[in-house]
Amino acid sequence: MGSSVQRFPVPFKNLSLDIKGNKTDIVICSYDDHIFVIATQIGTMGTILHARKEEGVSIHPTFSVSVIFGKRDEGMLVACARQLIEHISSSGSSRPLVLSIGLKDHSMETLKGIVSAVVENRMW
Amino acid sequence: MSGQNFEFDGFNGSLGNLKLEESSSSSAQQDDAAAGGLQVNCFTEIVDDVTLHLQIIRLHKQIYAWISCNSAKFGHLYAAAPTRPSNTASVACLLGGASDNTGSSIARRLVLKTGLNIILACNIPKNAPMLEVNAEKKLVEKLIYLGYTKPKSKGLSS
Repeated sequence: MGSSVQRFPVPFKNLSLDIKGNKTDIVICSYDDHIFVIATQIGTMGTILHARKEEGVSIHPTFSVSVIFGKRDEGMLVACARQLIEHISSSGSSRPLVLSIGLKDHSMETLKGIVSAVVENRMW
Repeated sequence: MSGQNFEFDGFNGSLGNLKLEESSSSSAQQDDAAAGGLQVNCFTEIVDDVTLHLQIIRLHKQIYAWISCNSAKFGHLYAAAPTRPSNTASVACLLGGASDNTGSSIARRLVLKTGLNIILACNIPKNAPMLEVNAEKKLVEKLIYLGYTKPKSKGLSS
């Protein structure tokens, strides 16, 4: 291992887009055992959610999504995490998701925009 | 202290600040807007035969950091913030790590040193105090190098 120019072991994507007039910064990191997504319009990490596929033998997988930091009364955030973990799981990866989402508005269009932006730039 | 420094730029090329300057609390938002996204900085250091991976994402008034030793696992997640009016820090374990004080003590000391809200993902094994000290030292060095925090004039950590 002479001149080992190691790649950093965690690939990531860093993008910025406009969703309903609000500038949204998205970072998607792919760790060995987790997918980490930050989507923020407010300059902070906002609410952090954890979503994972449950172990089970049935054909249809079940998922567990919980808020680990921040707003616990905003159902749309949980729905957003649930959609993303389903995408991750259906493409074959069993890694859980840590989603950090800080939004100015919690409308369905904004969340759909975030889900589609993350899925378009998938790292799994 | 021998080490190899690597700096890895992401796909959409968000370059970290290479200037050593005092970070000002105001107008940070304008810098981020100009950069077109969050600033993500990745480093790999080798300290005492251990490979430390560090990733620092700067948000306005908040810092996300990931430290890992020899692997690319996410580790335990902690949130820490300064608690006004006294000069203390509050730490919460968000993901795992409740029985492990390595990450929470690093997070607490980072808050005391930087005065910022910190979200720390830490994958450092338990009961390895030298490793913990080295990892924290490297992280603080990088934060100072990137200009996200001012170097302490006294020199010793609390």
